[in-house]
Amino acid sequence: MNVRNGKGQSGEGSGSPAPSLTRRAMLRRGLAGLLAVSCAGWVGRRGADSVLGGLNMVSAQELETGFEGATDDEIVLGMSAAFSGPSRGLGSELYRGAMAYFNHVNDNGGVAGRKITLKLYDDGYQPDPCVRNTMRLMLEDNVFLLFGYVGTPTVTRVLPLLKKFQDEQVYLFFPFTGAQPQREPPYGDFAFNLRASYRQETAGLVNNFLAAGKRKIGVFYQADAYGRSGWAGVRAALDRHGERLAGEATYRRGQRFTGSMREQVEILKSNAPDAVICIGSYAACAAFARDAVDRDLRVPIANLSFVGSENMLQLLSDLGEDVETYSRYLVNSQVVPSYEDTSIPAVREYRELMERYDPAVPEELVKESYSPFPQSFVSLEGFLDAKLMTEILRRLGASPDRDGLEEAVFSVDNYDLGIGERVSFGPDRRQGLQTVYYTVVQEGRYVTLDDWQGWLS
Amino acid sequence: MKIQKLFQRTRFGIFLLFGVIVLCTSALCIYTVDTQLTAEYETNSQNIAKSVADASVDILLNRNLATLQSMIDQFVEIQGIRYIYITSENGEYLAHTFVPGIPEQILASDHANTEPVERSIPGLGDFLEVGSPILAGVAGTVHVGMDQDEVALKIQRAIGQQVILICIFLVVGVLASIWLVNLAAKPLAELLAYAVNIADKREPETTADDLLGRDDEVGDLARLFRHISDQSPDSGAPEASPGKAR
Repeated sequence: MNVRNGKGQSGEGSGSPAPSLTRRAMLRRGLAGLLAVSCAGWVGRRGADSVLGGLNMVSAQELETGFEGATDDEIVLGMSAAFSGPSRGLGSELYRGAMAYFNHVNDNGGVAGRKITLKLYDDGYQPDPCVRNTMRLMLEDNVFLLFGYVGTPTVTRVLPLLKKFQDEQVYLFFPFTGAQPQREPPYGDFAFNLRASYRQETAGLVNNFLAAGKRKIGVFYQADAYGRSGWAGVRAALDRHGERLAGEATYRRGQRFTGSMREQVEILKSNAPDAVICIGSYAACAAFARDAVDRDLRVPIANLSFVGSENMLQLLSDLGEDVETYSRYLVNSQVVPSYEDTSIPAVREYRELMERYDPAVPEELVKESYSPFPQSFVSLEGFLDAKLMTEILRRLGASPDRDGLEEAVFSVDNYDLGIGERVSFGPDRRQGLQTVYYTVVQEGRYVTLDDWQGWLS
Repeated sequence: MKIQKLFQRTRFGIFLLFGVIVLCTSALCIYTVDTQLTAEYETNSQNIAKSVADASVDILLNRNLATLQSMIDQFVEIQGIRYIYITSENGEYLAHTFVPGIPEQILASDHANTEPVERSIPGLGDFLEVGSPILAGVAGTVHVGMDQDEVALKIQRAIGQQVILICIFLVVGVLASIWLVNLAAKPLAELLAYAVNIADKREPETTADDLLGRDDEVGDLARLFRHISDQSPDSGAPEASPGKAR
């Protein structure tokens, strides 16, 4: 078997291949041992068992093949996302979009003859399972890189692991979160982002509201790192205009659509806001939009891209009322253009490949029923993530190696992803796209919002 | 024949003594457990507040509030800790764990206070709040709220377990004492029956031999009664077995 860069032992032409341990391999075992000890108490016995089990796996694999997530036949990317729970739509749609492109690449010979495969784990949008999944991906599955993680509370807990493994150069690519921790020191060097940040999304929303005369802005947010990230973005944007938050209300992560948000609505209503910016998941934000309308808080309600716009609209539509009743106040920021705009080359490609492959989440990960959307903003983002990921893997050449990953990413300069905005990366530029789009609901579907004044009047 | 009266006071005394011991021990136990556990929970809260404060410095200076929130979310999973909030030096709430919002009592409080303070928040419960300054207070303050109801429940459980154990000792001790007293009273009852038989000039029961053969005070008394009876001119009491009487 061919082994990349001499990091393993080729069995060709030798009677009894003697295993050779590279410096990196030894380093990995040392780090893995340290991690097992340091993390055992943190993640509990199950996690520690997993780590220790992983040590054995790593040793055996290294000795036999030098496997590092890339063989002659495939490149394995690790993904931990929400495939169960109230936010399962996000992981499912992101995966579907990514797989539509990866399937297309694989059907056309892969990258330098290697197929791209995703090793999937479900974390249910919960931090602890995400940490355990990441350790499995790094230590047992030994994936080439991490790709398409979903959520701020999950990603912020994984970042210290990446720092722990910094000598291994296990990078996180294109997480589905716009939070700051993976964009700034001390963890910014371990992740590459494609989408615009929550700061940019919230700043855009605040600027547009203020320009339209909506000066009293309240925030409804998830009581965790994601919510705080968005809250901080709104606060900072208001601060630049000399304004302050008009009020705030929170909810616990994992809230379902059937739960009540009346308390939160009443708290915000008591501050008489001109608009409310929601930083939450689609189930909670849909519940808030429903209860706000029901309790006469009829002001513009903005949501960030993470909300999963189609999932949110679906829940409101399922109420049986005229969908216009609950959706007329919604304005959602997006970090990708509208999938309805077929004038955009990448959107045409996305729609065609989604229709052709219609990827499904593996059955073993499906714990609750979920009806996927033919197209969605989240799956379009997953598609673009996969497209850029493929380009970076191509730039690694015939012998993909983690050592060359960062250089390959930094070589992406003014790259045309097919959405109009060009992508560039560099040591001080670890986020590819900067544009934020805004959408409102018209006739039961999202359309691009260009005229804020007209919509708000 | 039973000895009913002789040990009544003894039994009462034993019961009283054990009762006093149990009461005193329980009272001491309640006081000690309550004081120590309360102090321990308070110390833990202060340590957590200090840990958060120490760890928050760089995060706050980098204005990385998502990481700060992620950190306090982990601390609030510790049992007994119900809420954590961090205020800036200006009193702005930078991160907190309240749902659905920050309670009025908290909003109205002194954001820089680090002394333990008891709070009763409607709908949430009673709390002991401790604070710790970040960078000597110039970067803000960490506040940790300990759920007093939960702590009280834990203390009650700990005290309850100890009191139950002491009560078990009391019951076992009293029962053992009564059994021992009864054990001591049994030969006296036999002696009494023997003396009554002598006085009534009836045939002694078969236990007379055992009684007269005892080498303790009961045996001495039995033999004395026998001797007095034998000295009596109208004695009709039969001779005891020669080998056993002394």
